[in-house]
Amino acid sequence: MADFAVSLKDIVKEFPGVRALDSASLEVKSGEVHGLVGENGAGKSTVIKVLAGVYQPEAGSIMINGQSLNPATPAAVHDAGIRFIHQELHLVPHFTVTESVFMGQELRGRFGIAKREMRRRAEAFLRDNLGLPLSGNRLIRDLGPAERKLVQVARALIDGAAQVVVFDEPTAPLAIEEVDLVMGAIAKLKAQGIAILYVSHYLSEITDICDRVTVFRQGETVGVFDNITAASSAELIYAMVGRAISDMFPARTERSVDTGLSVRGLAAARAFSDVSFEAGRGEILGIAGLIGSGREELTDCLYGLRKRTAGTVSFEGRSLDLNTAAKAVAQGVVLVPRDRRNDGLVLPMSVSENATLATLDRTSRAGLVDAKAAAAATESHITALDIRPPNPDAITRLLSGGNQQKVVLARWLATDAKVFIFDEPTVGVDVGAKAEIYQLIADLAGKGASVIVSSSDPVELQGICDRIIVMMRGKIVDELRASDASVDDLVAATTGAASVQGAAHAG
Amino acid sequence: MRGEVPSVLKITDLVGYLPLVIFGLVLTYISLHAPNFLTLQSLELIVMQSLPVVLVCAGLAVVVMAGGDDVVSGGIDLSIPATAVLSAGITAQMLTSGMPLALCAVVALAACIVVGLSNAVLITKIGMTPLLTTLAMFVAVVGVNNVITVSRRINVDHSWIVALRAQEIAGIPAGILLVALIVAILFFAAHRTGWGLNLQAAGGSRDAAEISGIDANRLVAQSFVVAAFTGFLCGFFLLARGSGSSPGVQDNLMLEMVLATFLGAAFSPRRVVTLWGAVLGALLVAAISIGFKSIGVNVFWTGLIKGSLIVVVVAFSALAQRGR
Repeated sequence: MADFAVSLKDIVKEFPGVRALDSASLEVKSGEVHGLVGENGAGKSTVIKVLAGVYQPEAGSIMINGQSLNPATPAAVHDAGIRFIHQELHLVPHFTVTESVFMGQELRGRFGIAKREMRRRAEAFLRDNLGLPLSGNRLIRDLGPAERKLVQVARALIDGAAQVVVFDEPTAPLAIEEVDLVMGAIAKLKAQGIAILYVSHYLSEITDICDRVTVFRQGETVGVFDNITAASSAELIYAMVGRAISDMFPARTERSVDTGLSVRGLAAARAFSDVSFEAGRGEILGIAGLIGSGREELTDCLYGLRKRTAGTVSFEGRSLDLNTAAKAVAQGVVLVPRDRRNDGLVLPMSVSENATLATLDRTSRAGLVDAKAAAAATESHITALDIRPPNPDAITRLLSGGNQQKVVLARWLATDAKVFIFDEPTVGVDVGAKAEIYQLIADLAGKGASVIVSSSDPVELQGICDRIIVMMRGKIVDELRASDASVDDLVAATTGAASVQGAAHAG
Repeated sequence: MRGEVPSVLKITDLVGYLPLVIFGLVLTYISLHAPNFLTLQSLELIVMQSLPVVLVCAGLAVVVMAGGDDVVSGGIDLSIPATAVLSAGITAQMLTSGMPLALCAVVALAACIVVGLSNAVLITKIGMTPLLTTLAMFVAVVGVNNVITVSRRINVDHSWIVALRAQEIAGIPAGILLVALIVAILFFAAHRTGWGLNLQAAGGSRDAAEISGIDANRLVAQSFVVAAFTGFLCGFFLLARGSGSSPGVQDNLMLEMVLATFLGAAFSPRRVVTLWGAVLGALLVAAISIGFKSIGVNVFWTGLIKGSLIVVVVAFSALAQRGR
């Protein structure tokens, strides 16, 4: 029985209105590196929180080393030797390596804390168990991202009681050359007999280091794969995406494409470099990329929210100055942000106030807002976008996600914007409203706007875009034409599986 | 093996030193214009004058370490000087009515701890911001003290209080020795114990601390009680310095406390508020205040100059933060 270090069986976890996990199972053998993959929303984070004892499942069993944990509380899970390496680092920038490793578990000596002993042990652990020679006196803020990650790992494992270590997207913030440091540490841990659960979107890493892989889709375990090799990624993608592509996308129509937005050699410090692409008038350009790929930073940079360090942006051949968001809007570049509740809308204000925020000069006289003019301007957008309730005075907070998204859009439609950037346009939006938003996006392109859609949802990108550029670790690594590429192709390109497959074929 | 110290001094590091440079220039200017300024005698006077500020700075440093050094959302306790004045006021009033010093001290301590606990509850249980809570507490406590002392000066000539000012042990004033001992104990607690490291972790990154199983809220609450305790101790040094309790001391004390504590961050190799830094900052600020007097700067101008120095110090620490 005890050949499984972790065994989760038939776990069901419900949240109000959503069944996040539905007969999800996950079994990690002692001493193996086990991969867990799935699209966003497939239930990976939920199952990890169930394992951590943060969420209590409605049904299912949790066994650790053959022992049933009921209930699994965070303390019981910790005592059973399970350690979690969270995606966020949670380190104090001005602490030393030693202090960070022993945070909350300081060694006490005769006079206060045993500083020397802690330093010796921290350095020895990092060097011998993780393969990273690092002085215990260095400050966290002077370390690179991979070194910080390993300090975080050392903190979780320094007590020597770890039997299973769960890594949640450990390489997301890392540059490609730093990934090896983390991979090396994981290989060393495996050699010490520690079982590893490795959660990542990067399929190339998964096929590199994992012995077995479990695939989640929509809260269910849809496959467990043994004998993982570089060639396994096609199977994994097939299992991840499934075949459930609905017809919520507007029909593809041929639109005439003219010169529009042109980006040349754009770069932003610590985010991305050498990014060049065109988004013509009448075209919908998709940007795909995992967290940490530079995709979010790119949209922020185009909208003046992030400083660019190199490169030019022009529209119809005229150079644009996008150093602040105000300048971007003035030159017709607008952003519908991913976090509309915080960045896109002033929630306590009315629909009308939100919709006219960017065009107050038109709805006010001598600096005073003309509420009637504003309401009239808003009415026309409410009708055009079918915002519900159709009331300009409704408080924005009370609208549904999809309707809030339309209010953001209404604000920009009121301007003479020519470049629309959508960042995760349908996150938190129900299916019906999704279809409407896709139609609106297609309409914008039909009217000759340059539209950019940045999204983590490959189905959405493949369904709505004409062309898709793929970013990975701060660079554009691929460009696909949506009409010739399948969702699987897009996932393969985004997760780094495409290059592995290419290499495998070539070899 | 990597080097122990970061080898390159970055611009942002230099920016962090600028407040010290400015203070150094001001002090140099003063010592050039007041030849007696750098004598042993005058230095002793500076240290004696600074003792109340040193104590409240030590208390504030503990609060900032636990709550983080963001002046608005992090840890700050503006009420410490009010607590100090309350401690002095209660003691003075009770001594005048003939009660023994020990009893006065117990009552003053109880009152101060009540202030500290109130801060702790309002901030950690109710979730108010430290800046607003302790500012309100400052006003309220000063009000209470005005009621107790009827807002008048009370002379104190109790031999123990006088001893804090006048007694010498091996040629060193007893007050200085006592404060040095208190600071040493607080330093040990804040920088050499697990409790202190946890305190710094809570202030450095609350999430990190909580993920490591540290009860950050409890540490923040404790820091406010420690701060109130330093306020209690400070009260006696205020009585000694002023030969009694006088209304209005708290305003200047608060100004110098905030200035000195955040100035002290420039002394720390990590550019964060530390106990040592706060204490050195307090000495430096006292030196400036006395220096201005000794070169005859108009009293009304010193307010402007100190206010400007606060702005400069906070601005540079913000710049240094941003560069990280």
